[in-house]
Amino acid sequence: MQKIILKRLGFLVFVVFGVTLISFILSHVIPGDPASMMAGQRASKETVQSIREQLGLDQPLWIQYADYIRQLATGDFGISIRTHQPVLDDLLTYFPATLELAVAAFAIAILIGIPLGVISALKKNTFWDHFSRIFSISGVSIPVFWSGLVVILIFYGYLGWFPANGRIDDNINPPTHTTGFYILDSLLTGDTIALFSSVKHIFLPALVLSFAQLAIITRQVRASMLEVMSQEYIRTAVANGIHGRLLIISYALRNALIPTITVIGTSFGSLLGGAVVTETVFGWPGMGKFVVDSIAYLDFPAIMGFTILISIGYVLINLIVDLLYGLLNPQIRE
Amino acid sequence: MRKISLILLALCFMMITTACKQNANAPSKTTASNAASGNAAKSELVVAIPADIGTIDPAVTMDNSSWKIIYPTYERLVDYDGATTKIKPGLAKKWTVSKDGKTWTFTLEKGHKFADGTEVDAKAVKESFERTLKIKKGPAGIFSMVSKITADNPTTVTFTLSENFPPFLSTLATNYGNIVSPKVMEYEKNGDMGQNYLANHTMGSGPYQLESWKKGDSIKLSLNPYSKVKPAFKSVVFKIVGDSSVQRLQLEKGEVDIAEGIPVDQIKDVKSIRNVRLVQKPSLVTDYVYINTSKGNAALQNKKVRQALNEAIDYDALIDAVQLGYATKTRGPVPEGVWGHDNSVKQYKHNVKHAKTLLKEAGVKNLSLDLLYSDNKTWWKTEALTIQSNLADIGVKVNLKSVAYATFRDMIDKGDFDLALGVWSPDFGDPYGIMNYWYDSKNFGLAGNRAFYKNSKVDRLLKEAATNNSKQERTALYKQIQDIVMDDAPYILLYQKDYILPMSKDVKGFVYNPMLDGIYNLADMSK
Repeated sequence: MQKIILKRLGFLVFVVFGVTLISFILSHVIPGDPASMMAGQRASKETVQSIREQLGLDQPLWIQYADYIRQLATGDFGISIRTHQPVLDDLLTYFPATLELAVAAFAIAILIGIPLGVISALKKNTFWDHFSRIFSISGVSIPVFWSGLVVILIFYGYLGWFPANGRIDDNINPPTHTTGFYILDSLLTGDTIALFSSVKHIFLPALVLSFAQLAIITRQVRASMLEVMSQEYIRTAVANGIHGRLLIISYALRNALIPTITVIGTSFGSLLGGAVVTETVFGWPGMGKFVVDSIAYLDFPAIMGFTILISIGYVLINLIVDLLYGLLNPQIRE
Repeated sequence: MRKISLILLALCFMMITTACKQNANAPSKTTASNAASGNAAKSELVVAIPADIGTIDPAVTMDNSSWKIIYPTYERLVDYDGATTKIKPGLAKKWTVSKDGKTWTFTLEKGHKFADGTEVDAKAVKESFERTLKIKKGPAGIFSMVSKITADNPTTVTFTLSENFPPFLSTLATNYGNIVSPKVMEYEKNGDMGQNYLANHTMGSGPYQLESWKKGDSIKLSLNPYSKVKPAFKSVVFKIVGDSSVQRLQLEKGEVDIAEGIPVDQIKDVKSIRNVRLVQKPSLVTDYVYINTSKGNAALQNKKVRQALNEAIDYDALIDAVQLGYATKTRGPVPEGVWGHDNSVKQYKHNVKHAKTLLKEAGVKNLSLDLLYSDNKTWWKTEALTIQSNLADIGVKVNLKSVAYATFRDMIDKGDFDLALGVWSPDFGDPYGIMNYWYDSKNFGLAGNRAFYKNSKVDRLLKEAATNNSKQERTALYKQIQDIVMDDAPYILLYQKDYILPMSKDVKGFVYNPMLDGIYNLADMSK
């Protein structure tokens, strides 16, 4: 096990290197000049040139890249062209918000998706199965900007139960920064006011963001469960008098979860990268909006920082998925 | 395992229900729960803005979305007077200019203090401008003609210019003229002159100062304790609300007082909301088409072809289709509201028949042109389609080319287009802010002459107008230039956009100054 982890972490260095190389080249060859974006609408050629020199953009591409890698090796992601802050600071400000939202959405998707998939498989072609199918199809096909607005209209506009925007109320101070997750931080510090406010704020965006994943997970669990339930060892188990919860959870679901884990793993990755629309609709101060703005502004250091962070995320998620396989199925452990 | 899951579920449920209950039971007990209940306190103004902003260092930023934070937190030597482009005293109570226009001397009013308690004196003014010039970013370009600044005594500061530049006074009233406390240098890191620190802090003498900035969420201003001005709003919150429908809902519920990001197609619905009024004023934003007169399709070098394109546009229909009527047809390059605007300047009218004759006279047949635009302005796609259909009426085929904004700017700068959509608003209240940028052949590309237009007579007259100290003579010169360029037609001038701002009827005292688009006179406002 340790060997696998070490090997994968070693592999991570190569992935990051490859990602930096490709994204550096891509972001620098597209037409557009960050110096001109920074100099303003009507800057003179001299002003643009002076900014280009300050940013080092007048150097050949390979020198710029070598400088970047040298900086990166010391943990320095550079200074953002748009916000003028160290990129790492910006990422650390926005990333926890995105991660917190993704985790919350993920939790909702799993808590509802797995039981719903199981029920729908066990009660095949009944009301519950049809309900789960309609639910899933809607989840996948309704775009987030629409479901987001509907949810806001109902729960904020009419009922007034939840706020429509932000991560915490304007006049409440965020909990003392430990993890950057407001809910976790307020639990750690015992700040109940911040805790209630953050739960209230995260509920709607997390719910909306979870729809698509929930649908995928439900369908996947249903299909796997149906397959597993028709296998011989289940019949043998039933013949041996095993039934009820024990049969479903320990015998069937455990095996049905193996393919589901793959789906869940990749869907978590897409939650991280795909929260842009949800973040915009709910004014969630996460990475999505920050990155879109950075791309529009050709903020190279910020784009690179984000790409590296997300690729590390993907590698780690894949590693976790593989380790989970081992836990669920001893045969794969070797 | 089951027990843990049950406990976790119960905990989640408890938190959610308690949150809801708390909200429903005490909707307006404290401001903390005003998220769903609305009605922010009378001493607080809440403005919904569509996106977070970049750096707020006045010596660095050229992005006017950040000016709404910078302007009320700093002071300038002079200011724009009310809703006009006239100049009134600011930090300087009076000023003189030498006959040759190269030496400007300002006498400072005593008693202004930065939020850190330091006095705003001549030395501070000198160091602030020198910092801008040394940083050499966009704002330095505006003051490129400043060759020396001296602090003669604590209340007198003198600027020496390398050449006569009559609009100089006007440039001092802009965002670039904000005076930064000399203490900024205490925050210098790696020779950055405090750029990193000032990117998310304020160090000015304005009535407000930045209190907190929750990135991507909200920006809060509080009072500068040392300011002589005592505004009614003790705090101002700029809330980042990316979705326009959500902004509308929040305005309706009274959770925000002003909603900045509502597009014209939703304005009609906003108008019907009780307790919301619409501020509607003509802005100085001109929406126009660049005709590439030297690097584009060769046919565009012919004046008659350019005139034909101008006459092909159905201006009224375009304004209705694109801006739903919230705009005025442009007359002349100098917009209404800036001195030098002339109502007698030629204005092209929709005349398909005559346009076709002009094309015939030019000997142009089967003309096919590329029209470049980007996703930067939401209305540009509709505008491009309308223009395409208008030009088809005179037999000109238009191929629409939509590219990313950064690419768009690059292509404009290189002259890699036939026609392109653009907007312009002058940086300072002087016809120089339009004319010398648009038509001077030394400003080819992004610098302003985006039509790559060259007329040596115009160049000469522009230079004369830029270095003459008599306003009357300058007005006459600019009139003469406007007549020539309108005939040469290097641009298609479409419309002057209206400034539309939905705000709560409770908000009083807002004055829209077209030079300060998007900036609030917070110190005079109340509710």
